[in-house]
This record gives sequence, C-alpha cells and structure tokens, in this order.
Amino acid sequence: MAMDGIMSTSTGLSYSNVGEFYPRKFGPKPDVVPSGVTERKVGPLDKPDMVSVDVLNLQNPDVPMHRKKQEHDTYVLGTFHPFRKSNRSVVGRFLQEVRLVASDRRSWRILLFGALNLLCTGCLLMWCSSTNSMALTAYTYLTIFDLFSLITCLISSWVTMKKPSQFYSFGFERLEVLAVFASTVLIQLGALFILKESVERFMEQPEVHTGRLLVGTFVALFFNLSTLMSVRNKPFAYVSEAASSSWLQEHVADLSRSLCGIIPGLSSMLLPRMNPFVLINMAGALSLCITYMLIEINNFNAVDTASAVAIALMTFGTMYPMSVYSGKVLLQTTPSHVIGQLDKLLREISTLDGVLEVRNEHFWTVGFGSLAGSAHVRIRRDANEQLVLAHVTNRLLPLVSTLTVQIFKDDWTRPLLTSALASPSVAHPQAESYTASSLMPPVLTGGELDPLTSTPTKLSSPPPEFSFNTPGRNVPPVLFAAAGPHTHRPYGNLGLAYGAVPYSGMPSQGLMRPGAGLGLGVPGMGAGFGLTHSYGTDFSSSRAPLRFGTNNPLGLQTQYRQYQP
Amino acid sequence: MDEKYSSNVLSGGKLGMVEVPDSRLTKYIALLIVSKVLKALGVFESYDILKFVHIVQFIFILKLGSAVILLFFQKPFSSGKIISKRQWIKLAKHAVFSCVVSLLGFFGLTLCGPLRTLLLFEHADVVVVALLSVLFTNSGGGPSKTRGAALFIIAVICLLLFDNDDLMSKMGDHPEGHHDSALTHFLYTAISFLGVADHKGGVVLLVASLFLKVGFHTAARKLSVEIGGSKRLYALDCLVSAAVLLPWVIFLSVTTESKVESWASLVFPFSMVIFSVMILEFYVDAVCSAKMEAPRCARYGTFALFSSGLLLANFWTHPLTDQIRSMSIPPKLVSTEHVLSGGVMVSAIFFLMSSSILAAPSKKGQKGTLVGYSPEGTPLYNFMGDALHHTSQSLPRFISDSLKQILEESDSRQIFYFLCLNLAFTFVELFYGVWTNSLGLISDGFHMLFDCSALVLGLFAALMTRWKATRIFSYGFGRVEILSGFINGLFLMVIAFFVFMESVTRLLDPPNIDTDMLTPVSVGGLLVNLVGICAFSHAHSHGGKSCSSHDHGNSHGEHSHSHGGHGHSHGGHGHSHGSHGHAHGSLTGGMNANMRGVFLHVLADTLGSVGVIISTILIRQFGWLVADPICSLFIATLIFLSVIPLLKEACEVLLLRIPPEHEKELNGALEKIDKLEGVLSHRDAHFWRHSANMVAGTIHLQVMSDVVEQRITQQVTALLKDAGVNNLSVQVEKEAYFQHMSGLSSGFHEVLAMTQQMESMKYPSDGTCIM
Repeated sequence: MAMDGIMSTSTGLSYSNVGEFYPRKFGPKPDVVPSGVTERKVGPLDKPDMVSVDVLNLQNPDVPMHRKKQEHDTYVLGTFHPFRKSNRSVVGRFLQEVRLVASDRRSWRILLFGALNLLCTGCLLMWCSSTNSMALTAYTYLTIFDLFSLITCLISSWVTMKKPSQFYSFGFERLEVLAVFASTVLIQLGALFILKESVERFMEQPEVHTGRLLVGTFVALFFNLSTLMSVRNKPFAYVSEAASSSWLQEHVADLSRSLCGIIPGLSSMLLPRMNPFVLINMAGALSLCITYMLIEINNFNAVDTASAVAIALMTFGTMYPMSVYSGKVLLQTTPSHVIGQLDKLLREISTLDGVLEVRNEHFWTVGFGSLAGSAHVRIRRDANEQLVLAHVTNRLLPLVSTLTVQIFKDDWTRPLLTSALASPSVAHPQAESYTASSLMPPVLTGGELDPLTSTPTKLSSPPPEFSFNTPGRNVPPVLFAAAGPHTHRPYGNLGLAYGAVPYSGMPSQGLMRPGAGLGLGVPGMGAGFGLTHSYGTDFSSSRAPLRFGTNNPLGLQTQYRQYQP
Repeated sequence: MDEKYSSNVLSGGKLGMVEVPDSRLTKYIALLIVSKVLKALGVFESYDILKFVHIVQFIFILKLGSAVILLFFQKPFSSGKIISKRQWIKLAKHAVFSCVVSLLGFFGLTLCGPLRTLLLFEHADVVVVALLSVLFTNSGGGPSKTRGAALFIIAVICLLLFDNDDLMSKMGDHPEGHHDSALTHFLYTAISFLGVADHKGGVVLLVASLFLKVGFHTAARKLSVEIGGSKRLYALDCLVSAAVLLPWVIFLSVTTESKVESWASLVFPFSMVIFSVMILEFYVDAVCSAKMEAPRCARYGTFALFSSGLLLANFWTHPLTDQIRSMSIPPKLVSTEHVLSGGVMVSAIFFLMSSSILAAPSKKGQKGTLVGYSPEGTPLYNFMGDALHHTSQSLPRFISDSLKQILEESDSRQIFYFLCLNLAFTFVELFYGVWTNSLGLISDGFHMLFDCSALVLGLFAALMTRWKATRIFSYGFGRVEILSGFINGLFLMVIAFFVFMESVTRLLDPPNIDTDMLTPVSVGGLLVNLVGICAFSHAHSHGGKSCSSHDHGNSHGEHSHSHGGHGHSHGGHGHSHGSHGHAHGSLTGGMNANMRGVFLHVLADTLGSVGVIISTILIRQFGWLVADPICSLFIATLIFLSVIPLLKEACEVLLLRIPPEHEKELNGALEKIDKLEGVLSHRDAHFWRHSANMVAGTIHLQVMSDVVEQRITQQVTALLKDAGVNNLSVQVEKEAYFQHMSGLSSGFHEVLAMTQQMESMKYPSDGTCIM
C-alpha cells in the first residue's frame, strides 16, 4: 500500500536497499587479482551510485528534522511557515511523507485524535487564562503531552514503512526513540516552567476563578483517557513497560497492596502494574477536584499553586524513568536487562576453541528492542578465523541482530612474509596455495598433500583456504582412524546437523577437533553433500592438539622455526 | 490473604518484627493513653500559666518541683554508685542542654498555642528518626515511609501556609516592651528577622527544637548508662538544671517585677503541670517502652495525644471547661486564641497518619540477619541500623573533589565560572527584590534561576563526558554532551514557545509596563550575559583554532545580533542557511553540542535583555506600548531559528546518521575497500558519530578464500581511519564462514538467509574457477 509512495519518489532507495546486501561489483569481480582490471570496472558501475547519493542527500536528512519540529511546537509551526516557504521542496517532501503515513487507515484515527486534541488544548488554554489557575495549566500540559504521544505514534508508523537509507544505515527506528525522549523531556521542561511560575505565585497569590475549573478538568480527563484507550501507542506502551516504575506507580502499588489486604476482591484490578499515563491523569484530576473544593469552601487560593506544584512533581516522576530509558537507548548503552545474558554468552565465547579473549565489546539497542553490537575477538595464531567467527556469530546472533565481530591475531605478520614472497609470483590463487605449501619446509610429509586440497574434486567449490599458521595441514591419518567411529553420526542430512553434534556445548577443546577433522578424514563422504569443502578449514585445527596442546610455548617456537627456511 | 497483604492501609505490612498481641498489653496501653491525655491537659494548662509567669521562672519551677518529687522517689544519692567529678560535669552540660530544649519548646508554646505545640513538638523519637532517615539516607524503607515523610512535611507546610491564625498575627505587632527578658527578646528579633509572622516563626522554631530534642535524647543515652539508669539521670538532671536556672531566676526576680498577683493561686496549676508533664509521662513512657516495643508505644501515644489535643482545643475556651480549669482567667483574654482552623485540622490528620506510618516497623529496606526461628516457626531477624553500615563520602570532600574536576577542563571551567556569575547576579537581584519588596525583581530572579538550570545541565554534561567507560556505557560517556545539547535545544524551544505565547497575548492586550525598574535590571543582565558570550566565544576561538569551524560560532553570534538590529526576517533566514553549511563542521570542531547549547542559551538571554532595553526606549520615547510584545515576538523567532541547526545536528547524531563531514571520505574509502585485492564486496557498512571525538563504524567484508583476513582487516582499518573512523570493527567473511554458519544454524530461515548471502559470493568465485 505504501510502497508505491516510496517507489515513485525515490528510485535511489530501492537501489540502496539492494546495495546493502548485493554489493556492486559482482559482475566484474571474476578478474579479481590484477589491479588494473579493477580500476576499469569501477567507472561505469559507480556512476549510478553517485547519482543515488545526490538524490538521497536531498531526500532523507530533512525528514526526521521536520518531524521533530512539528512535534516540538505545533502551535508555533503555523506561524513559521512563511520562513520555510523558501525551501519549497522541503514542504513538498514533507507533504509527501504525510501522504505516505496517511495511506494507512490506522493513522487516520491518530490524525483525527490529533485534530481533536488541538481543539481541546486550545480550549483548555483559553480556560486556563480565564480561570487564572496554575493547576489547570499544569493539567493542560498533560493534554499537550498526549498530542506529542500521538505524533510519536505517527512517527512510529512512518518508521515501520521506511527502509534504511544510505545515510541512516540503521534505519529510522531510532527516530521513534528520539520522539519518545523529546516528548518526555519537553513535558518535563513544561513542568519545570510550571514550578518556576508557582514559586513566583507563592509570593503573590492571585485570585483563581473556579467557574471553568471543574469543567476544564473533566474535559481534559475525558479526552486524555479516551486518547489513551482508543489509540494504540506502541512506542509509549513499550517504554512504559520497560522503564522502571515511577514513584507514583510505586506508591499506588503499595497503597493498593494494602487495600487488597482489606478487600481481597480488588486484587485482580489493583495489583497489576498501573499504566503511568492513566495514573497521572487520574491523580491530576483528583488534585484539581480537591483544589476546586478548597477554593470553593474556604477560598484558599494558595491550594491552586500547591496542586500545580503537585501535578508538576507527578509529571516529573512519571516522565523521568521513561526519558532515562529512552535517553539510555540514545546514548548507545548496553541495556541492563541483557547484561546477564550477554555476560553468559561472552563467557561461553571465551571458552571456544582458539579464542583468547573478547575485548572492545559494545552492545547497544538500535530502536526499542533490537540489539546491535560489535566485539573484537583475539584468537590463537593457529586457530581458524572463519570457524571461530562462525561460532561466535552463531552464539551472539540470536540476541544481537546486527552483529560485527572482528577477529584478530597478535602476530600474524610474520608468517605473512612467506606469502608476500609467494603471491606476486603467481597469478592464480589456487596456484598460490600450492606454492605456499611447497615453500613449507618438508618437515612433515611435505609432498603428499591430502587429496582434498590437491585435487579439486568439485568444480563448484572454491580453492581450499590455506591457513598460514598451521603447518600441520598435512595430518597423518592416525587421527582420522581414531575419529572413525564418529563417521556414523548423521552427516548426510544436508550438513545441518553439523554444529549440533560435535560442537554443541563445546565442553572441552579437545572434543571438538576430532569432529572437525572428521569431515576431512572421509573424503569419500564429502561428495555426498555440498558442504564438505568447508571442512578443509578445520583440517588444520585437527592437528593442533598434538602440536600445541595447551599453549605450549615450546610448541610455538618449533612452529616458528618451521617457517624460517 | 492477610498473610499476603498487610492489613494496615496506611503503613502497610506487619511483617518484620513479631509483635505481642494487643490483649496482653491492654493495661499498659490504657495507662499510656491516660498519661498522654493528662499531658495534653498539662500543656494547655501551662500555656495559660505562661501568660503570667515568665518562661524562665516557669521552667525553673517545673524543674525544681519535679526534682523534689523525683528525689523522693528515686533517691539518686543514696542508691547506686557514687558519681564522679567528671560525670558531674557531663551532667551539668546535659542539664544546660535540657534547659535549652525545654526553653525553646515552651517558647514555641507561647508563640503557637498548645494545640500546635502538641502537633509539632510531641513526636516520638522513633518517628523523627524514621523521618530523618527517609529524608537524608537512601535506604528509607520503601515507598510507605516516603509517603509518611511526605505527609509529615505537608502537615508542617499546612500549619505554615493554610493555618490563618489571625489572632496571632494581630498579636504579632507586639510592642517591644512586651518582652520580659533578653532571651525572649532575642528570639523574637530572630523570628522577625526571618520575615514571618509570629506563629509561623513558632512553627519553624518548634520543628527545629523537635529535631534538637531527638538529638538530645539520643546523646543522653550514653550518659544514662554511665550514670546508672535513665530514671536516675532524669532526677539528677532536673535537680542540676534547676540549679543552673537558679541564678537567672534570682536575677530576673530582682530586676523585673512579676505580673503574678498571687503565687498561691498558681500552686495547684503548677503541681498539675509538674505531675502530668514532667513526672507521670516520664514514668509511663519508661514502663511502656519496657513492656512494648517503641514503635507501637509511639503510635498509641501520638494518637492519644493528638486527639485529646484536638478535643481540648475545641473545648478549652468553652464556658463549661472554665469551671474545670484550675485557673480563672479574665474572659476577654480567652476569647479566641489559636482557634481551631481548617489548616490545623488537616495538618493534625496528616500528622496522625504520618506518625502512624513512620512509627510502623518497616518491612522493606532493612537488611535483617536471620538469627533463628521463633517457637511458632516464623523466622526472627536482627535488624541493625542501616546508618551504622552506611559509609558515605563526606560532603566537603565531595564538593572539593567535584570542584577540582570541574576546574580541570576548559569547557566545564567556563560554564562553572559563568554559572557562578549568573547565580551571583540572580541572588543580588533576589535579595534586592526582597529588600525593596519589588515583585518584578523577584520574579525576574526566579526566571534567571530557571535559566541557570540549563547551565547546570551543561556543566553536568561536561563533567560526565570525562567519566571512564563502564560496562553499560561501553563507548564512554562522550555522547552525554550531545544529548545535553539536544535537551538544551529543546529547552530553548520551550522558552521560545512561552515567550511567543506571552507576546501574542500581550499583543492582543498590551499591559501598562513600569519601565523605571526594568532598565537597570536588563542592563545588568545584558552585562552579565555579554561577559558570558565573550568567555564562550573566546574559548571557542581557542579551542577551534585548527578547525575550519572556527568562524562559525562567531558568525552565528554576529548574525543574530545584526539580525536583531535590522529586523529583516528574510535576511536572517538566508544568513542562517549560509552558516548552515559551516554548522556541520562545528560539531566536531572547537565547540561541541553541549557548549553550543549553553552558548545559544546565553545568547538568547542576551537577546532578551537587548529586547527589553530597546522596547523600554521605544516606550519611553514614543509611548509605543506595542513595542514590547513585538520585541518579544522577534526574540522568540530568533531563538527558535538559532536553535534549529543545533537540534538538527544533534538529531542527526542521535539517529546515527553517517557523519556529514566525513561523507565524502567514507564513500571514497568504501570504494577503495572494494578495490582492495581479494575483497569481493562489503555489506552492512554502518558509520556514525558517537561523540565529538569518536566516529564509530562497523563493516562486513566478503573476501576471497585465499587472502589473509588479518591483512585485509589492517588495510581496511587504515583506510577508514584516514576517513575519520576511529572505532572500527571489521568482520571479514570468506565463503567458509557462510558454510559454517549454515551448518551451525538450525532454523530454516537462518539457513535461507545464509545461503542467500553465500550465493552472492558463489557467483564471483564460480567465475574465478571458470576462468
């Protein structure tokens, strides 16, 4: 429904979407190695890219900003249109985004309520000035907050339709968070303003007219509650659930628990956590009623100021936890509720074979809920990077959806010297691997390469990787014989059970290796499923327990020696 | 059900200590209630006596009388161990303190009347300790205690604000000759210095002396152990304090003539007061606290005391009670003194509720250690005072530490100095306003305070930025200042909005403005803010010397100024867009978002002062009353327009946009990365500015199977570092990775996704093989 809106306007968008996952140079990539070729291919392919950059440059950055503005000062916006008219396209694009949002039926309801809200707020503000009541003003700000929350709701529905753009590579989910943060902070600033005004009023209390006070209260209460009930506000519902409970909620929970001691029947109604917005609306209305009563009976005008202070404080109490929560999301912090889980996973990772340590781990939430993160994993020199990467990713991916794991080794440059010598001399990568292996000192059974690497049995498979750090790639078949019984494990079923059987749990390092080597050890079986070639990587590590046992420094030295011809 | 939920609505929960059932304690409770009722009676009585008798004489007589009785009962000299000389000295100190406490208490009684004194002064120690622990420690004991403390404070505020004790304020303008002694005179002057009515001063005095009393009781506990029992201490204390007061009393009776006609008629009331206030209450309290636990004692006692006080206050002036009263008083004096008002009623109810909540044993917040099980099988806990375990940094040390931190760096130093200047100006304004009783000045002072909160926010953010990274804030706290800049931007938006609204209402109905007072204030404000602008832009030019963004802040400031002068909105708009291009760089440069927010704030204030001055001149010269709202409209617009770039940039950073100033380099770097030898493609390239000096990034690279990952990582890192990314994670994937992953992942969808990604790699590698 909304898609045609995107398509018609931004042709670049679809491109960029594809571009994320299907990188540009697939076509010409085959001629990989020579550097001259790569230059040639870049020209025509990158041209559209630049165009799309320009389009997006105009398109995207303005949109969230616009939303923000509308959210901040809805009243002010009307007057400031003349200033923005100069940038015609901005308004046009804004309208177009509005059309995009409006294409959804649900947002119609939000817009309707927004219009009603504007009406109601205007009415209430007029009444505020006519009654001269600070408490009603403070209560009106809650209505304005409702307006903000409706706008947030619109934004969140817009966000779900929007795909990540080139500039906002994480997508616009954070806009939702920002909107929640901005509206809670704005309402708190309003409460601060109320506090300041009230302090000034304590100096000289003006007369409060009670005529419209109660009417205004009930109009606002009715309106707020109906908005809360009828519009499903996803971001605010989430934040109010996830954030720590406000002091108002705590007190009400405590009171209602005591009340349930007297009337147990109420427990189903009172004991669940109260919605903070409903709570503050009710409490504000209550204090306004008390104000009305006291002013009517005793003419205590100071009660008005006092209840304004009370409402402002309650607003602070209600909004503070939410703005802290959303602010923490904006600050890219690790959410405290996943820390335990993350710690467990990281501990698990650090016990993986070959992993020495995990550092620079950053985990944070993109929008509400979805975690992103990156970590640097230091591994042993002889460990297989791709295997470790796969395992680490596999551990973390269920929790962290946008994950980047950088694998690094400490002393990798040294063995590189040999390959640097070798690589220029040969053009073909496969040949490189051969030469590199032939460069290896024939300490072991140098010439007889194992069948899988030497003979490319499958055309589809890439040249097997050559891991420079592992001299023991030519493994004597002793190990395979030992691992022989394991071959009966369900390897045939598409290789899906690959991780399940030998790798699960990873209780000890030694246990994994026979399993890993196993795939190699049965080359005949490898033909059965297409994934066999991947085990070529594990082959090297299968030798490891013999050579480097438990980080035996002596073993490492001998390994070095092998590389110095 | 009752086990699960507590039965007490107010205090919530009887878990915790196991209480003895009420039935066993009935006689003690009855005794307690009777003694409290008698005490209330005694307090009312003593208020009447104090109208005639000088307060020092009154206390002397009380102490002496109770000392005589206690000597008779307790025989402190004949029993117990002999008191050493040092103990006598301690005893003397103790007696002096007790004299001071009772002096303050009874002086408060003369100011506030008996009922308010009962409400304020006669709280049990447990209640006050609980209140203080809620107010000043973190472990108050759950929300119910907080509620109790809030109720207590509200009750005191009720007494202060809503208790229109008209008669007292009438009596407040007492002639100076009324004061009998130097002491009362001193107290009166102290209260009148505070600038409150007498009975309000009495409320404050009583609250202060309540805390003093509790502190005194706590301190006396050690001495009572030393002396040998609290009863012996009390007897000796009465005696010694009577001796302490003796010279003063003699001096008084010599110098001033007494208002008392006949001491004989006062004998009965005095003995009544001595019996009820001094003797009976002490003994009953001692017995009850031995038999019952202190919280329950406090609950019943307070309840009895307050309700009887309320009743007595209602009937004390009734003609019926006149016959019961031991002392006849001329009726004209009696008429209406400290009558029951709505405020007192409300505050009495609140006091009752709060003391019943605060005195309730708290179930939460206390860390009990299990000591065993009671015969019924309920666990018994030993509750240690939390205060004992609580070690906190001392306040002066904390202040000096944070000051040192603030002064370490230029940003926070600048903000701090300016904040100090601003605060000083504000307080001068406030004091001057209070002194000259001008409301405009006071409200302007509060407005300045309101503005200072933005500075405080900026200062705090500048401090926080330097904190070390923690587990939760894994990138460090650098982002705080962007958030603070954002909040400050919102703040300015709100201010602009309010100014705008107010000017619109004023435009419709221009009020008459008294310009005389405004000018000096606004000139002062302008000066202060100009200093601030100079300081901040100075810092800016220092910090941003190397950056291209240097002239941004200045040009920005100038633009706004010139704009204010000319008043061409379109020109201003063009300007702001012109500086817009620069603005991108400025976030990285000399001025971070936080400082920009603060700077804009100061700028807005300056504009406000300028606007006020201009409008004042216009009004004076031409009598244009419309000038004021139009000026403020302008100012609101200006603030609004000047905030937009800041908000926009902060939003972009918070939304994790690719940093605009690095866009080109990053694109170039990505191209270069794709051209690297062995790199097939990249995906999931995310780059974002984390804080002013950190650009973070993550990228996934697909490489040929035969290249060394570490080399690729190093090259990519170097390339992106040149492009400005200084916190990078590179994930290097070969085809093997996808095969491992599809092997490891169990779900269908993951396999599908993985194979799709693998497909993307297959094609080129196939091509390689074919070629």
